[in-house]
Amino acid sequence: MENSAVTQDGIATVLSNQSLDSSSVRPQIVVQVVDLKAVGNRYTFSANDGKTKMKAMLPATLTSDIVSGKIQNLGLIRLLDYTINDIPGKSEEKYMLITKCEAVASALDSEIKSTGIVLKPKQEFVARSASQIINEQRGNAAPAARMAMTRRVHPLVSLNPYQGSWTIKVRVTNKGVMRTYNNARGEGCVFNVELTDEEGTQIQATMFNAAAKKFYDRFEMGKVYYISRGSLKLANKQFKTVQNDYEMTLNENSEVEEASNEEMFTPEIKFNFVPIDELGTYVNQKDLIDVIGVVQSVSPTMSIRRRNDNEMIPKRDITLADETKKTVVVSLWNDLATGIGQELLDMADDHPVIAIKSLKVGDFQGVSLSTISRSNVVINPDSPEATKLKSWYDSEGKETSMSAIGSGMSSPANNGSRSMYSDRVSLSHIISNPSLGEEKPVFFSTRAYISFIKPDQTMWYRACKTCNKKVTEAMDSGYWCEGCQKKDQECSLRYIMAVKVSDSTGEAWFSAFNDEAEKIIGCTADELDKLKSEEGEVNEFQTKLKETTWSSHLFRISVSQQEYNSEKRQRITVRGVCPIDFAAETRLLLQDISKNKTSP
Amino acid sequence: MDTSSPSAFVNGALLRRYIGQKVRTVIQVIGSDTGSVVGKSTDDLQIVVRGPSPTPPLTTYLEVIGIAESDNSIRAETWTNFGNTFDPQNYNELCKLANGEFKHLFI
Repeated sequence: MENSAVTQDGIATVLSNQSLDSSSVRPQIVVQVVDLKAVGNRYTFSANDGKTKMKAMLPATLTSDIVSGKIQNLGLIRLLDYTINDIPGKSEEKYMLITKCEAVASALDSEIKSTGIVLKPKQEFVARSASQIINEQRGNAAPAARMAMTRRVHPLVSLNPYQGSWTIKVRVTNKGVMRTYNNARGEGCVFNVELTDEEGTQIQATMFNAAAKKFYDRFEMGKVYYISRGSLKLANKQFKTVQNDYEMTLNENSEVEEASNEEMFTPEIKFNFVPIDELGTYVNQKDLIDVIGVVQSVSPTMSIRRRNDNEMIPKRDITLADETKKTVVVSLWNDLATGIGQELLDMADDHPVIAIKSLKVGDFQGVSLSTISRSNVVINPDSPEATKLKSWYDSEGKETSMSAIGSGMSSPANNGSRSMYSDRVSLSHIISNPSLGEEKPVFFSTRAYISFIKPDQTMWYRACKTCNKKVTEAMDSGYWCEGCQKKDQECSLRYIMAVKVSDSTGEAWFSAFNDEAEKIIGCTADELDKLKSEEGEVNEFQTKLKETTWSSHLFRISVSQQEYNSEKRQRITVRGVCPIDFAAETRLLLQDISKNKTSP
Repeated sequence: MDTSSPSAFVNGALLRRYIGQKVRTVIQVIGSDTGSVVGKSTDDLQIVVRGPSPTPPLTTYLEVIGIAESDNSIRAETWTNFGNTFDPQNYNELCKLANGEFKHLFI
């Protein structure tokens, strides 16, 4: 274990060395964190070296370490980089602004006083509160007594990182495979399970290494367990699979006991159905959705080659219809294609009702649904929605001609003007949400004005006349195209420009490529280049740009994330441009007004 | 912009509220006589417009600004061509909003 003592006279050293410049090596000082409290989204504390204390502040970047329990009140930290500043208003007192530090030990029993006695923490790096410590002491009691004390079952919804002893009674509703990893910290294995309690609350529990090996065989899908002595932390939003602010970690000391004799009411799978005609707004979004519909047709199994590893995986397409008189194609993958998919093929003529949970919404042919590993398919579910659907289909749905939901919607590649009215947003919606398009580009339509085009930006690139790719200047005259592997005396210019765009809610920069920029400027890049190099009283080039400014258009745009010098920036690309249809826009505005009406 | 004598946006049904006052409306011409033009309002009612006739060429839709004389006639002061692809339903909704919930934003 590392040095668990604070540096003697650490605070005095810090204060006397405040004039050290960044190039000199700072002495490694360990202090105890006392009176840790949150101020806004940062934490302040008193740095204690056993003799003196001084006020200190931790950067917002370390807030997560505090919340997760790595840096704890009464714990020890080693100061790696800091500056000493005056406390505004109190010129005699200084405070330490810490820019880098590392946790050395978890919470000691108490504040270190100048008696010089250092108390060693009992365990390293496990987030534990006082009640957890007491519970562990109680854990040495006789098993029966222990069971009596901890058997009180807590609802999953009541768990939080600061509550010590709890026991939950949960069913394993999903079990992941054991995965091995190899990262900077070493090798290991990990798996996780999805747990659901009687109230329907779900939480993900993860186990690493020894704990993973210990519990992997014990956890079985569908079985019920009493679990205690796990730890909770805030869920990582990127990997969230269930609706819970927290996620659980079980270690070797956690308890997992099968509730073999007892029955537990399994809550029915909670569905949140989206009618087929409302699927449009979910296209390419992160959210998984649920659908229910009548099976119109089932395809045979197809074998698709997976892009990343060239493996062949089975797929089956099901066409579903619902009362909105729209149809959608759901792709079942892997086991769902071969297992339940085959069942559906056999009963296709009965046109059963199926409900599917956790589908991804894609844009193939406008709108497409795909299963993922955690998708759940239920045939002819016992629910009022299913009964309603079946009777609708039997009475009228069977005969009605229905259209595919995707057909009204253009896929992003198609610049049809119909897509100018779906996913309509204002600029503020995009710029106020920097995480849009984090995983996959998101598409919108918007109506805005071109407010500025920088005249001295690089507006075009030299392109091959055949394939439009960028060409390089050849040694002798002409241009070389790497793609076509040939040289041409001439090349064409193609637009690649940044335009500033504004509407009543804000402004943003859009990137426009050749076809769209041509529509905006009103002439080709070659033509504009000619104007630029023309001499004369009136600069036609500037006039052209001026005419473009403050023209309004309907834009189809995609929003994604790009990294510039390790900083994530929003990139908005124009996918389509078309003139404004004022009558249609007015109708949209009237709709908006009636939606926001205050009086009934 | 001369705001000394504002005109209220009306359709056929709202005309009666402004008798004697200045109004503006868009009509589709369905017939004309000496000294008067008969038009269809955006809410499909008939409006007679007396006074100086609009000068051709005329488009399908015309805006007329003038004094409301009765619940179905206007004495014209100004005519403006509003084109052939005008959307009368939108204009009708505008008249309803401008005289109802959002009256305070207009006159």
